[in-house]
Amino acid sequence: MKADALNGQLAPLILATIAEEPAHGYAIVQRLEQRSGGAFELAEGTVYPALHRLERDGLLSSSWSLEGPRRRRVYQLTRAGRSTLGERRREWGRFAKAVEMVLE
Amino acid sequence: MSWLEQLEGELTLRGVRGRERERILLELHDHIACEPGCEERLGDPASLAASFAEELGTDMARRSALGAFAALAVTAAVLAVSQLAIGAAGGPPGFDHGHSLLLFMPAMLGMLVAPQVALVAGCLAAVRALRRRRTGSLPAAELALLRRRTRIALLAGLATALGLELYVLDFSSVLAAWWLALVGGAAAVAALALLAAMRALLRAGEIVSEAEGPSGDIFDDLPIPGSRWLGRQPWRLGALAALGVTVVMTALVWHAERSLVEGLERGVVEGIAAAAGFALLGRAIGAAPAVGGEPVAGRERGARP
Repeated sequence: MKADALNGQLAPLILATIAEEPAHGYAIVQRLEQRSGGAFELAEGTVYPALHRLERDGLLSSSWSLEGPRRRRVYQLTRAGRSTLGERRREWGRFAKAVEMVLE
Repeated sequence: MSWLEQLEGELTLRGVRGRERERILLELHDHIACEPGCEERLGDPASLAASFAEELGTDMARRSALGAFAALAVTAAVLAVSQLAIGAAGGPPGFDHGHSLLLFMPAMLGMLVAPQVALVAGCLAAVRALRRRRTGSLPAAELALLRRRTRIALLAGLATALGLELYVLDFSSVLAAWWLALVGGAAAVAALALLAAMRALLRAGEIVSEAEGPSGDIFDDLPIPGSRWLGRQPWRLGALAALGVTVVMTALVWHAERSLVEGLERGVVEGIAAAAGFALLGRAIGAAPAVGGEPVAGRERGARP
């Protein structure tokens, strides 16, 4: 599936991958790939501008953590992010159900 | 040249620097360290840098517009307080009671004309920033318009603060010391707030965005009735605005002074000033529709986006 097909869905996908536990950029990309079964042909770098935007919008917060010699930025959901994710899940559920009803 | 060095070069080229650039590079350095050789999957460094620049430029331009609006609100409050309190300070004095007309004339320009320019440009900038607050990345042309509106508003705000300081200087031997200290000090504080907002704006202007799209104009920002007709010729909106100002000012002065002649005199002067302001700055702040300029994609003139 081409990245274009995501069409604005990258943000909720990222929120969903961090919902259970905080993660750094590489782990987020890995989770996206694992959970989608490798369905998205996404340039991995595109996740980072999205992470920065979500943080500016107050849906994520982040901090540096030191793991061995490496500094890494770890992201976690804010309360607003959790609420937005819930909202997007409900929207997606309604949308998917409607499309399914038409296609079947 | 490594992938990270290319990214660093592309970010620098687009004005992304300082802590922001350092953070991006550290995050991607960590990503590559997690899986050496994955650079190809990260995508083209130029496209990634462009994405960062577009989103960062949008955010900074929007924030600087709202910051400028807050600083202008402080300036407006100082101007209002100065005029409300001047009666208790022994004024307002006649124009020939000050030190020099060379101080009085620019002070009047700063206190009467500049606030109106600041009000229009500042409100238009804030409206655009709020209207587009949920858009991650705005077209370069739209960012340029937003920054232009903010810059004009801030310069006019600074002219207002300067006008107040000149007024204080001109009438320093006539007005009460407490008023001079209050207004002189408050205008200096307002000027500092405006300068801080200007600094943020200049920083936002350093980010190079290449996102395509139209800048939009005043019809995108305000629900102006008859926009289809008005949008065909820029002068129509200017003429209508000038007429509106004339009528309102005539009515206000007529009511306040109980003289229709005085009302008409003041109204006509204000109307001419509004028309001149529109002619001078209308296109720059997107108050005059873009005729023969950028196309307004995906929107028919007059239709709401």
